[in-house]
Amino acid sequence: MDELLEILEDINPDVDYTKEKHLIDHKVLDSFSIVSLVSQISETFDIEIGPQYLVPENFNSAEAMWKMIQKLEEED
Amino acid sequence: MDLLSLSFLCFLAVLTVIYFLVPKRMQWQVLLIGSLFFYICSGIRNLLFVLITASSTYLAANRIDRIAADQKAFVSAHRKDMDRAQRNAAKERFQKKRRLLLVLTLVLNFGLLCVFKYLHFVVAQINALLTGFGSGAAIDNTWKLIVPLGISFYTFQTMGYLVDVYWKKVPAEKNFAKTLLFVSFFPQMTQGPISDFSELSQELFTEHSFTYHHFSWCVQRMFWGFFKKMALANVLSIYVNDVFANYGKYTGLTTLLGAFFYSMQIYADFSGYMDIVCGFCEILGIRLAENFERPYFSKSIAEYWRRWHSTLGRWFKTYIYYPVAMAKWNQKLGRTAKDRFGKEFGRALPASIALVVVWLTTGLWHGATWAYIAWGGVNGLFIIFSLWMEPVYAGWIRKLKINEKSTAWRAFQVIRTYILVTFIKVLPEVGTLSQGFGLWNRIFTNHEIPTTLRAWIPQAHKSYVQLAVCCGGILLILITDLIQRKQPIRQWLENHTNRAARMALFAVMFFVTIYIGYPLISKAGGFMYAEF
Repeated sequence: MDELLEILEDINPDVDYTKEKHLIDHKVLDSFSIVSLVSQISETFDIEIGPQYLVPENFNSAEAMWKMIQKLEEED
Repeated sequence: MDLLSLSFLCFLAVLTVIYFLVPKRMQWQVLLIGSLFFYICSGIRNLLFVLITASSTYLAANRIDRIAADQKAFVSAHRKDMDRAQRNAAKERFQKKRRLLLVLTLVLNFGLLCVFKYLHFVVAQINALLTGFGSGAAIDNTWKLIVPLGISFYTFQTMGYLVDVYWKKVPAEKNFAKTLLFVSFFPQMTQGPISDFSELSQELFTEHSFTYHHFSWCVQRMFWGFFKKMALANVLSIYVNDVFANYGKYTGLTTLLGAFFYSMQIYADFSGYMDIVCGFCEILGIRLAENFERPYFSKSIAEYWRRWHSTLGRWFKTYIYYPVAMAKWNQKLGRTAKDRFGKEFGRALPASIALVVVWLTTGLWHGATWAYIAWGGVNGLFIIFSLWMEPVYAGWIRKLKINEKSTAWRAFQVIRTYILVTFIKVLPEVGTLSQGFGLWNRIFTNHEIPTTLRAWIPQAHKSYVQLAVCCGGILLILITDLIQRKQPIRQWLENHTNRAARMALFAVMFFVTIYIGYPLISKAGGFMYAEF
C-alpha cells in the first residue's frame, strides 16, 4: 500500500489519499493522470492492467486501487 | 419519419399509451415493435442494416462469452496437471479465438460504416494521386451511396457493447430480441446518445409506471427542445447560412458574429434534439445518458469535450484513448522517453500519441472531408499543447499570484475557451478546408466597422422579429444553463414561479415556436447532427 501511496503522491502531492474516496468523481484524477498512474502501477507491481479495469470504481480511492492490484496479482 | 413532423408526435403519443396499457413485463417488447415500425417507415433498407449489425453482434457476443466459459472450465479442470506457463499457454489459445471473433465482427460492422461514409472520399484521394502522378486514369466516383439511417451512432454503440463483452465487463445478452432493441431503440437512432449496454439495458428492460407529475415535467423538457430547435436554431440558421456562403462580402466583425451565432445554432439544434428524445424517454421511465452539461461554461477545451456530446467522447476515451495509451509499445515508448528526456516528457508522451489517434478519428467520424480531419487535428493539438504546457502555466500562475478560485479568473477561462471552441467549430462548416481558412482570414484581416444593423447582421432587415427571437433565445439558453448549474430548470421554475407565470412563459414560447420557427423548417432543414 505504501508503494501505491508513493506513486499517487508523485502524481498529485496535494491530495490526502487516505481520506479521498472520490478521486474520479471529484475529477482529482483525469484521463491523463490515469494513464500515467496505470503505467507506474504496472511497472512497480509487475501486473497488466487492461482497459477493462479502467472504470471509476477501481480508481476512486487508494483502497479501491489496492484491491484491484491484489486481485490482478492473484489472477496472475 | 421526420422528428419534427406531426406524424412523429402522433407515433410517440400512440406508443406511450400502448406502453403503459400492456402488462409491464411486455413494455420492452412494445418499444421493440415501435422501433422496428420507425425503421420500416424510414425505409426497409435501413432495417436491413440494423438487422445485420444486431445479428452479427448477438452471435459474436454469445460465442465470445461461451469461449470464456470454456476457458474457465478447462483451466479449473486441469489446474493441478499444469504449471503456470502451461496454464497461460492454454488461456492464450482460448483468448486467440475470442480475439479473432471480435476482430471479424468489428471489421464487418465498421467495414459497412466505412463503405457508406468513406468510400467516396478514399476514391477521390486515389484519383487526386493518380492525377498528381500524371496518370490519365481515374476511378469512377460519380455513383451515390445513401448512408443508412443512424449507422454512425448504432455501429459505435453496438461495437462498444461487443468490446465490453470481450473485456468481460458485461455478460452477453442471451435474448436476440433484447439485443435487437438495444441496437435499434429509435429515439437515439438518428443522433445518439451513444449508450453503454450496462446502462441502457437496465433502463429498457426494467418495468416502469406512469405518474402525472413526471409526465408533465417530461413534456416540458420536450417542449424546451422543440423551442430550441425550431425557434432558435432555425432562425439563427438564416443569418449563419448567409454569412458562411458570402463571407467575402461582409466585414470581419460581421463574419465573427456569424461564427458566434453558428456556435449557438448548433448548440440549440443538438441539445434541442437531446431534450426532445430524453424528455420522451423519461415519460416512459427510461433515462438516457446525457450528452450536454452546459458546455459553453467550460474552462478548457479538454473540459469542453467532456461536456459537449459527452457520450461520443466517452466512447472514444474507453475504446480508443485508453487502449492506445495503455498499449505495451506506447508504454515502453513512454518509459524510454522518461529515461532520456525526464519524468514530465515520459508521462505526457503516451497520452499525446493516444490523443492524436482519438482526434483524427473523431474528425473522420464527423465527416469524410479534409476539413473535418483538420478540425479534429486542431482540437487534438490544443488539448495536447495544454497537457504539455501544464507545468509552465502552473509556474506563470504562481509568479503572477493569480487566485485560481476567483470569479474573474474563471470568467477569463470560460470566455477564452468559448472563443477558441467557436473558431475551431466553424472550420469544417463553411465547406472546404480552404473556405474554412478563408473565413478565419476574413475575421482577422478585415477591420472595417459595420455602421448599419444590416451590415452587422445580414438578413436582419427582413425581419426584426426574427432578430429579437435570436437575441432573446440566446439569452434564455445562457440563463437556463446558469440556473442548471445548481438545479434542473424545471425544479427551479416550480420553486420560483406560480402556475400562471409558467403557463404564460410556455404560451409565449409556443407562439414563437409555431409562428416564427415552424415556417422556417423547410429552409433550415432537419437536425444538424443527423448528417453525421
